[in-house]
Amino acid sequence: MENAFLNADRDTDSVTVSLKGDWVFGNVQDLESALADVDASGASAVTFQCGGLQNIDIAGAWVLFRKSQNFETTGCDTDFRGFKAAHFKFLKNVTQAGGSSIATDHEAAPRVPRQRAQDALESLGKAATSGLQDIGFIAMTILQGITKPSKLAVRETVRQVYQTGVQAIPIISLISFLMGVVVAYQGANQLAKFGADIFVVDLVTISILREMGVIMAAIMVAGRSGSAFAASLGVMKLNEELDALRVMGLNPNQVLVAPRLIGLIIALPLLTVFADLAGLAGGLFLSVTLLDISAVQFIDRAANSADLTTLFVGLVKAPVFAFLIGAVGTLRGLQVTSSAEQLGRLTTTAVVQAIALIIAADAVFTIIFIRLGI
Amino acid sequence: MEPVVSVRNLVNAFGTFRVHDQLCLEIMPGEIVGIVGGSGTGKSVLMRSILGLRRPQAGDIRVLGHDVYGSGPGPQQYWGVLFQKGALLSALTVRQNVELPIALHSDMPAATRRELAELKVRMTGLPVSALDKYPSELSGGMVKRAALARALAREPRILFLDEPTAGLDPIGATEFDKLVTYLQSSLNLTIVMVTHDVDSLFGICDRVAVLVDKKVVIGTLDELTQSQHPWIHDYFNDPRARRAQQMENTNGREH
Repeated sequence: MENAFLNADRDTDSVTVSLKGDWVFGNVQDLESALADVDASGASAVTFQCGGLQNIDIAGAWVLFRKSQNFETTGCDTDFRGFKAAHFKFLKNVTQAGGSSIATDHEAAPRVPRQRAQDALESLGKAATSGLQDIGFIAMTILQGITKPSKLAVRETVRQVYQTGVQAIPIISLISFLMGVVVAYQGANQLAKFGADIFVVDLVTISILREMGVIMAAIMVAGRSGSAFAASLGVMKLNEELDALRVMGLNPNQVLVAPRLIGLIIALPLLTVFADLAGLAGGLFLSVTLLDISAVQFIDRAANSADLTTLFVGLVKAPVFAFLIGAVGTLRGLQVTSSAEQLGRLTTTAVVQAIALIIAADAVFTIIFIRLGI
Repeated sequence: MEPVVSVRNLVNAFGTFRVHDQLCLEIMPGEIVGIVGGSGTGKSVLMRSILGLRRPQAGDIRVLGHDVYGSGPGPQQYWGVLFQKGALLSALTVRQNVELPIALHSDMPAATRRELAELKVRMTGLPVSALDKYPSELSGGMVKRAALARALAREPRILFLDEPTAGLDPIGATEFDKLVTYLQSSLNLTIVMVTHDVDSLFGICDRVAVLVDKKVVIGTLDELTQSQHPWIHDYFNDPRARRAQQMENTNGREH
């Protein structure tokens, strides 16, 4: 048998393959098919001879070596003869570097469905335990932050309240004001059909106080601060800043993580109050300008329809939402280990998960309040 | 003499793979010791273990007699660490960064603390105008100097440097080496540095700890150049190492 790259001669139980031409990177595909044609079935030994070989590089040597390994697994002895030192140096490199990866090629058996199910269950279990660990870690961090406050941590907490709370007041007020306008307008359109325009006030007051105010505030904070937590902690981790704190004898959980969590738990209820007020103002604004409801009427009606419980039902959610946003943001930030690309991905994850958790938690709250009859 | 750093029977493993196996290392006061090794031999892991950042699977690590992983007070206030990328806190200015370790373990009045921080910054050759800048506004070399100032802030007795000259141009690297030797001789520091820079090794190190076969071989440069171990032999007889050695022999040691 003969082709452009080799001659194969068959004796009774041995095959001699003499190579020729250029065994180089550009020819790898042809080399593989040339070697595939070599039939060594029933032979006990294969000898590769240098013969008329012009050039060989690592890619060519690799193809040759892999073929020889294939022969070995079928029970043939293989032997290399007459290779010049320059050629053989490549081959030797390949033999030393390639041994283990060949073994793994054979080990990678196709996954059977049962194995897949097992893997899925295993990863589910792992996610559950790591989730529990994370919750424990965050709870411990907050507890330590409260019980062992250092001067540094207190200052950082104040800074966080300022950044996540005070600085967010304008945008959250604006958004809630607009929400109040929208709810009032949609409500007025429907209620006018029944001549019940005045109930717009009840609609706005109750929906803003119970749901919209706190949800709007929480979603804005998740976008503003949840991402900022993940990004800032992630960058600090990449930059070895957390290690730098540790070698100074500071615990980064106490001086960075706990202040962020506690700061947010303080800030979000306050922001919710602003969101509630702005939302009501939005409803008032629309009622006065588009509906024939005066400001006095609106305020009077609002005071009748809502009591302290309505306000409390909205406000009690705020610390829980704050905890969720803070926990997801800081945990994702601390998970950054290697690269800027990972940092971006985890920051996005933090925001998406925080918002999803807020909505889910709100649903749970609704069910609880229904059960309690509030 | 008590060793400043003593590592005994250290075992560090990732899963079943042991990076360090019964590793022992002693560093004496006033030495400048370089840590070298091929990639994956655990130079950084060793450094992190000594600094208390990675609890080893087994072993006893003491720095200035304090057990690094013990329950008692650690050696944190007696050491200074310069991380590879500087690791200045990005939310703080250079001045605040340098003042932070001073503020942590002393009740010094604010004015004194301020002056002391300025002094440390000047010692590292950083212009005073850099004091009120944020790390992001500084060049790579300036960040390293500022980080060195922070490492020196609390009058450490031992200084750990992780690849101090990595990322600096050759002139900057030489200046940094000079700075380190100057500080070592004037403050009588013990210095431990992980480095790939053969010029630094031959230029300023008294002894070199080589990570081979999951353990440490420590010796003077002359001893290591004569070593029979293949990796150590190759490393210290590499043409670049040779050149650095010859340069050093003609210039004479600087300290």
